[in-house]
Amino acid sequence: MMSAPAISVLKTSAAPRVSLARRLGRSDGFVAAMMILPAAILFGLFFLWPFFNGLWLSFHRWDGFSPPRFIGAANYLRLFKDRIFLGALENSFIFVILSLAFKNGLGLALALLLNRVTFARGFIRGSVFVPVTISFVAAGLLWSWIYNPVFGLLNAGLDLVGLASLKRSWLGDANTALYAVIVVDVWKWLGFHAVIYLAGLQTIPSELYEAARVDGASAWRRLWHITLPLMVPVIFINTILGLSGAFVRNFDIVHVLTQGGPNHATEVVITAMVKTAFNESQMGYAAAMGYALFVLVGGLCAALVYLLGRTRFKI
Amino acid sequence: MATSSVHGAPPAAPASFAQSLERLGIYAALVIVLFQTLYPLIWVLFGSLKTKPELINNVWGPPSSLVFENYVQAWQMADMGNRIFNSVTVTVLSLAILIVVVTPCAYALARLRFPGRGVITGLVVGSMLVPPQVLAIPLFMVARDLGIINSTVGISFIYAAAIMPLSIFIMRSFFLSLPFDLEDAARVDGAGRVAILVRIMLPLARPGMALIIIFGFIEVWNDFFLAFLLLRQPEVQTIPLGLVNFFQQYDSLWNLYFAALMITTLPVIALFVLMQRQFIAGLTAGAVKA
Repeated sequence: MMSAPAISVLKTSAAPRVSLARRLGRSDGFVAAMMILPAAILFGLFFLWPFFNGLWLSFHRWDGFSPPRFIGAANYLRLFKDRIFLGALENSFIFVILSLAFKNGLGLALALLLNRVTFARGFIRGSVFVPVTISFVAAGLLWSWIYNPVFGLLNAGLDLVGLASLKRSWLGDANTALYAVIVVDVWKWLGFHAVIYLAGLQTIPSELYEAARVDGASAWRRLWHITLPLMVPVIFINTILGLSGAFVRNFDIVHVLTQGGPNHATEVVITAMVKTAFNESQMGYAAAMGYALFVLVGGLCAALVYLLGRTRFKI
Repeated sequence: MATSSVHGAPPAAPASFAQSLERLGIYAALVIVLFQTLYPLIWVLFGSLKTKPELINNVWGPPSSLVFENYVQAWQMADMGNRIFNSVTVTVLSLAILIVVVTPCAYALARLRFPGRGVITGLVVGSMLVPPQVLAIPLFMVARDLGIINSTVGISFIYAAAIMPLSIFIMRSFFLSLPFDLEDAARVDGAGRVAILVRIMLPLARPGMALIIIFGFIEVWNDFFLAFLLLRQPEVQTIPLGLVNFFQQYDSLWNLYFAALMITTLPVIALFVLMQRQFIAGLTAGAVKA
């Protein structure tokens, strides 16, 4: 695996550093603690502290001004009877399942495509990443104009191919609005997931493919028996990122496109929560929505990690 | 068609019909991909160069004349100079803090054996699942207690903390994917953990680092939510706040708004173009094979 010159380079360059490591102590435990400490300080100050503050708030009734009043688990119990919240939860699940499927499926396909392209690599890979870099304000504006019932690009395209009967106000129609928003979310993040898949593909030694080709394995078999098994850690990363993205980080895209409308058709938990907090000044109840979602998503991810841990794959 | 399909293939193997068909498929897919990613940007560029009446009459096409004046006006009206300075300061500081904090932590989580490693990794992943909006109000109170409202340095630490879990997660998996032989060889030679991290692992993990820098840059550069919460005075505000103010004040000046969007989007794309070599060059693959 390693060439002799590489080892000798390491030997000479690493030697002067040994004494530093000795001074720090030989045990991994101490070194690890020192390495994690800066991250732990930031994490404690700007995550754990507000996190527990918010958790405390979720057991209170608070309008943001008068002193918070402790009401036990009443906020959480209220969630089970709140039609808007339950509808939003359902929408969030539809959102996550569809966007995860398409971001991973298309993302991997796109990465495989990019891996095959031999010309203008920098330009093409850069282009794929463009939607990721565009701010939500611009992306929302663009897509609301594409979906526009009067001058929108989508309806014009349907006219062109003779499917005028399908024309509609894509974001204004409760039957299509949620799917229209999901399309934008997939469009926005596809390049991000594809680039991660691409980075993963680059780490697969090409000898494996050459050997398989010599053995006469078809392209499908190479994908199924070499690429996918070796990509399990990357698929896992993309799934976790997709889960957290589509469950807890879809506020901007929904807000810019529909504000949760029409009639809550695109309401997801986060938009419902922000409305509850800032429009209705029910800070405690809004916090309870957020923490309920967190527990739910956390449970899902823990289940995923557990299931993957039982397989032979290392993540 | 035949010549173009042979081009790029190994010279020894003549292109069969199946191969040219495959190549044709690749080109077709590529055209579709490039259209859907690039047209939006081109659309904003077109819009930014049109006059206001033309933008309304000709929504999707190229501009009939190039009104560069839009950029000058947008720059002045959105107070871009000052805001770009603030955005650059905040972004650079946040990323510097991020790299210093994330790299050792991700390395420790990926490569060192110590009690509590699983718990900490779980905490990192778990914190990515907390909706940022949940933390908004408590975070404001914490920032007030620390006295860092309206401080570009203060908000940089908060940004670093906000993108830290994802970055640790990405860096950790890059460190995990590096071959253990390299490290073992260095250990046999007597190198300590810090030396191994700095001399051996860091250069190999550059693709991962490029990834978190790009992702962090996009998050911080485009962020509206935290900036709105914590930067209340105009002289410390960043570009996204300026954009939204601008949009609210001058409701229908779409062409100027597009110009402002172009000014803010270009640095991100430029950075990506500059850095992509890092994680696409396949440094890792090279190291494994060498």
